[in-house]
Amino acid sequence: MSTAFSFYLTTLLVYLGVDILAVWSLNLQYGVTGIYNFAWIMFQAVGAYTAGVLTLGPDTGNGGFQQYILGVRLPEPLPVLLAGVVAGALALVVGIVALRRLRTDYQAMVMLVISVIALLVVENVTGLFNGPAGLALIPQPYGSLPLSTLGYQWFYVALTAATCLIVYLFVHRVTSSPLGRALRATRDNEDAAQALGKDVVRLRLFIFVMGGAIAGISGGVLILFIGAWSPGSWAYVETLVVLTAIIVGGTGNNFGVMLGALLVPVAFNEATRFIPQFGRPGLVDALQWIVIGALALVFLWFWPRGIVPERRRRFPGGPLVAPAEMTDPSEVT
Amino acid sequence: MEQARESAAPGEAILSVAGLRREFGGVWACTDATFDLRRGAITSLIGPNGAGKSTVVGIVGGAIAPSAGRIVFDGTDITAMPPHRRARAGLVRTYQLSSEFGRLTVLENLLVAAPGQRGERIRTLLYGKRYWRKQEVELLDQARILLDRFAMGHKEDEYAGNLSGGQKRLLEIMRALMCQPKLLLLDEPMAGVNPTLAQAIEGYLADLAAEGLTMLLVEHELGLVERLSESVIVMAQGEVIATGSMPDLRRRPEVLNAYLAG
Repeated sequence: MSTAFSFYLTTLLVYLGVDILAVWSLNLQYGVTGIYNFAWIMFQAVGAYTAGVLTLGPDTGNGGFQQYILGVRLPEPLPVLLAGVVAGALALVVGIVALRRLRTDYQAMVMLVISVIALLVVENVTGLFNGPAGLALIPQPYGSLPLSTLGYQWFYVALTAATCLIVYLFVHRVTSSPLGRALRATRDNEDAAQALGKDVVRLRLFIFVMGGAIAGISGGVLILFIGAWSPGSWAYVETLVVLTAIIVGGTGNNFGVMLGALLVPVAFNEATRFIPQFGRPGLVDALQWIVIGALALVFLWFWPRGIVPERRRRFPGGPLVAPAEMTDPSEVT
Repeated sequence: MEQARESAAPGEAILSVAGLRREFGGVWACTDATFDLRRGAITSLIGPNGAGKSTVVGIVGGAIAPSAGRIVFDGTDITAMPPHRRARAGLVRTYQLSSEFGRLTVLENLLVAAPGQRGERIRTLLYGKRYWRKQEVELLDQARILLDRFAMGHKEDEYAGNLSGGQKRLLEIMRALMCQPKLLLLDEPMAGVNPTLAQAIEGYLADLAAEGLTMLLVEHELGLVERLSESVIVMAQGEVIATGSMPDLRRRPEVLNAYLAG
């Protein structure tokens, strides 16, 4: 493997890890619980900014060319953990406003609007996270380790993989437990779930906060790898990439959405890199967005369950009575 | 299921509804609903279309907030209680339109309805499967016994969304039973069901009543109402206009008028 290719590969692997965290997070909210969180990218962004300002130190550093709040230098892995905490807290606030009284389609609209508002606020209140220029020159975590540049790349891949593993164990516990079943029931019929004693608002808020925290962690992992973050990184359409990955991979299936993360943001985005530029400059990049949207539509139309559909849960023991002995009046419908 | 129903002597009122009113944008769907339901019996709620029956079920179930009135269930004023807390208290309803969890299997539809599941607590995420496995096995047995009783055992792994209309009606009832009701509100459980299955459902309801389950049945088919319930509440134009036994009600002019005029 040439060094250049190793760099490319390790970078892709970190992106893949971040995207996997992203799809698990949004899948908990959208795929499992049915919350149309069109503001998803905002939670990743908040995590990224949090991890950024908690790693950069005071904003007088580097000649004071960046302005931001909270500048401190915390030891690893605190910035990433706090990224999760802050994003989770934001999710709690947003959730209390948007999830308590509103039904799904209105929720979707509110989320989209919140995402756009947040972007405008961060762009214009420059003291918050350095405005449109964004944060840059964020020092590498664990930078004091005696590693070669390429060695550090692999080290970061390992860190990302470890984060994914821990998050997976959590996500799997949610989706494989009766709690996950209650969440899916809420998704399929909110009123009926409520009429059977499920506290739908509490369930939704819980999963919204958990998903938000995972989104924040993904942002933390990403920003500390690329060392910069700006409003350009989190336009509201970025949420649609994650959502498309979930739809393509298989809504509600943790492995399916992983495959979606590999196919849509990673493979698809990389493939377009190799298409020769044609037409006006920027045309290929613009087409990419169109194709992502088309991809979501095609899947929703022809394969709404995705490549690896949600698993059908079977239980040990099987039916009490063999089908042959049945007299079933319901069959006559 | 059984012990929950024996918390008080049969005969006294399990549900008292007084002066329920509800307006929808200037239209009074319910102007005065006052009635008691006796424990351990099937009471039917009848009336022409638009009489306000579903509104009353909605208000009692907690999905619709009343403009005025008071609901006392099992000794507790539940007028302001949210629907999920009413269900936990034992007041469970079914829907006129099937409300299955379509992307859950039949068995999962039943399991999810069981109250007080350890595996739904947030603590589960710390302790893992060992925290809820034992209870899940018990629930699985309960659910399969119920499936067997309703002759749906062979459908346990089917997605509820793929069931026929009639099977969905059965699922609706089984799921409500899994929730361990003290009072079951059945909003037209036979709506859109073929006669054979309707007969089967009637049999199931009669059996449940014989076991002591209290039910409020909203139904249009008066023959069925007469066979299943001793006590009938008649509503018309948002009001309770009569209560009594079906043979008695058939002779009352106000009931006949409401049906002929409605």
